[in-house]
Amino acid sequence: MEIFILAFFALGYLVLAGADIGVGMLLPYLGRSGAERRVVIAAIAPFFLGNEVWLVATGGVLAGLFPELESELITGHYSLVVVLLMSWVIRDTGLWLRGRLPDTGWQRWCDGAVVAGSWGLALSWGLLLGQVLTGIDGPLAVLPALVVAALFAAHGLAFAALRLRGEPHRRASMLSGGAGEARTFALTATAFAVVGVLVGLRLPLSAGTAGAVLVPVILALIPLLVAAQAWVWWTFRHRVTGPSYL
Amino acid sequence: METVDLARLQFALTAGAHFLFVALTLGLATLVALIQTWATVTGSPVHLRMTRFWGQLYVINYAMGIVTGLVMEFQLALSWSGLTEYAGSVFGSALALETLVAFFIESTFLGLWIFGWGRLNRWVHLAVIWVVTLTAYASAFWVLVANGFLQNPVGHELVDGTLRLTDLGAMVANPAARVAFYHVLGGAMTTAAFVMAGVSAYHLRRRTAEHELFRKSLRVGVGLALPATLFTAAIGGIGFETLQPAKAAAWAGDTERLARMQAEMVAAHGPGDYLPPVGWVQGGAITMLAAFAIMFFIAGPSLLLMLIRPAVRGFRLWHWLLTAMIPLPFVAMLGGWIFREMGRQPWTVYRLLTTADAMSPVTGAQMGFSFAAFVTVFAVLVSVNYWLLARAARRGPEAVTLGDRPVEAPSPVLTF
Repeated sequence: MEIFILAFFALGYLVLAGADIGVGMLLPYLGRSGAERRVVIAAIAPFFLGNEVWLVATGGVLAGLFPELESELITGHYSLVVVLLMSWVIRDTGLWLRGRLPDTGWQRWCDGAVVAGSWGLALSWGLLLGQVLTGIDGPLAVLPALVVAALFAAHGLAFAALRLRGEPHRRASMLSGGAGEARTFALTATAFAVVGVLVGLRLPLSAGTAGAVLVPVILALIPLLVAAQAWVWWTFRHRVTGPSYL
Repeated sequence: METVDLARLQFALTAGAHFLFVALTLGLATLVALIQTWATVTGSPVHLRMTRFWGQLYVINYAMGIVTGLVMEFQLALSWSGLTEYAGSVFGSALALETLVAFFIESTFLGLWIFGWGRLNRWVHLAVIWVVTLTAYASAFWVLVANGFLQNPVGHELVDGTLRLTDLGAMVANPAARVAFYHVLGGAMTTAAFVMAGVSAYHLRRRTAEHELFRKSLRVGVGLALPATLFTAAIGGIGFETLQPAKAAAWAGDTERLARMQAEMVAAHGPGDYLPPVGWVQGGAITMLAAFAIMFFIAGPSLLLMLIRPAVRGFRLWHWLLTAMIPLPFVAMLGGWIFREMGRQPWTVYRLLTTADAMSPVTGAQMGFSFAAFVTVFAVLVSVNYWLLARAARRGPEAVTLGDRPVEAPSPVLTF
């Protein structure tokens, strides 16, 4: 059961946050002017908070249920995790601060932070997942990392195609073409889930001793957490029509 | 500097930065929720504008709390894997519950509150901010259960060299956690009260527009400041009774008791230095208490002045003083944390695991890298955010975009 809980939150993070990270990576491609970029950000704005929280939850599950794996995975990839965290912080800061000043120079800086942070996240996830999956170290480790980063970007495009209108939508549709937007998104989401499961199979998933207390609590919470998230998805299910608060 | 000292300094600086934002978030969320309740029930336009203005400051502040908090969660595993491996099943359980019971819902609903403005039914929207507020309390509670366990480990047994959780109830009922929770909650209310009073006083002194809004806000802030300060101090007084003996001895500067503690610990745990740094413990506590005393002496008369209408409108010296008070609750918070955490040293889990043993097996270069990265990024973030927060506070309700339908600014075509 512990493994199910870990997989649930970790895969949830990859599939959900993978999409908004991908959109962040392709921000300059999807939005050519400052105004267009603001609309592209509006496509992920209501979701990114609720998406990244899946990783916070994964961290919590690791801390409580898999303390050994936690220290092996995180301390074992110390510098990489530091880069991942900094990318995450820089990206979020860019998203939060972009709309605070009406100045185009400021917004360009923030866009830069979103793009750099998103690439940093995708590549450091790529390195981390790639190292666990393939065991490749050294310069060649860049190859699996690039594959994973490309998956982030593809997933982001698929998500953007579902959320945008007009010219940015046309750019996002480059990937899906005539294949159907929902089907393309389902495909990239499945690819993420498969990568996640494969990585999981390579990890030493030996649970700690807190399961007896924590597992029933977490299982009871999961429907509530999913319902809260589903409410957000339902509320913001329509394509974006204009800029949002960010 | 030893690697372990660098790791400690890194933790202290990042946790301190995080806590500055969290303290205000916790208190301001409550005030925003209360004001929004009033606005929703009465339909009063000025209270709706108040909700949006203070809500905007809350959101700016909250965003920083989140991003610094992300680092905090993973830093425990990064730098302190000795702690995770030894006590992860106990200490980590509280953190796991914090993320799942509290923060997951808090974050999801905050998105709904910000972006659902005007989209959700107003009663539903009101319910959403209350969920955000209550889960913020729950979050603080579980974090302090985790911290309380470090201060006073209960509800566990030692099996094969690692701790096991045997009694979740005992861990939750830990006095070191409960007292800290109420103390921090009171501190957060004090912080929000002084911030609201200080910002409102700034606008009244400058005679900006929105007189009514800031008169009402000033009364909320000043009205809360004295009870919140007293409540925090009263709980803190109880907290003094739950101090570890070594911390209490360091605070009292009682060399005889300190020597006795040292001898007792050496007998129990082998040779070593088991005393907390007296200067830091006393410095932290005195800072906190001095800040409390000033806040108390300002909050009392302010409560009376608040009842006199001409004073609220035009007593500029008082306005100036209230604005100058804004940093004090933050100073008190940090002083209190230094007192609490330095006083626990050299233990990470009191009398079970030393800080040196709690550290990850990482090299000095790795620690130096993360230190440089975290401290640089945090320093920039903290400065930029305080500047933005001050800017938004100064510009007043006119400039608030929260809860507004953003209008597309006419953008210069093809500039980049």
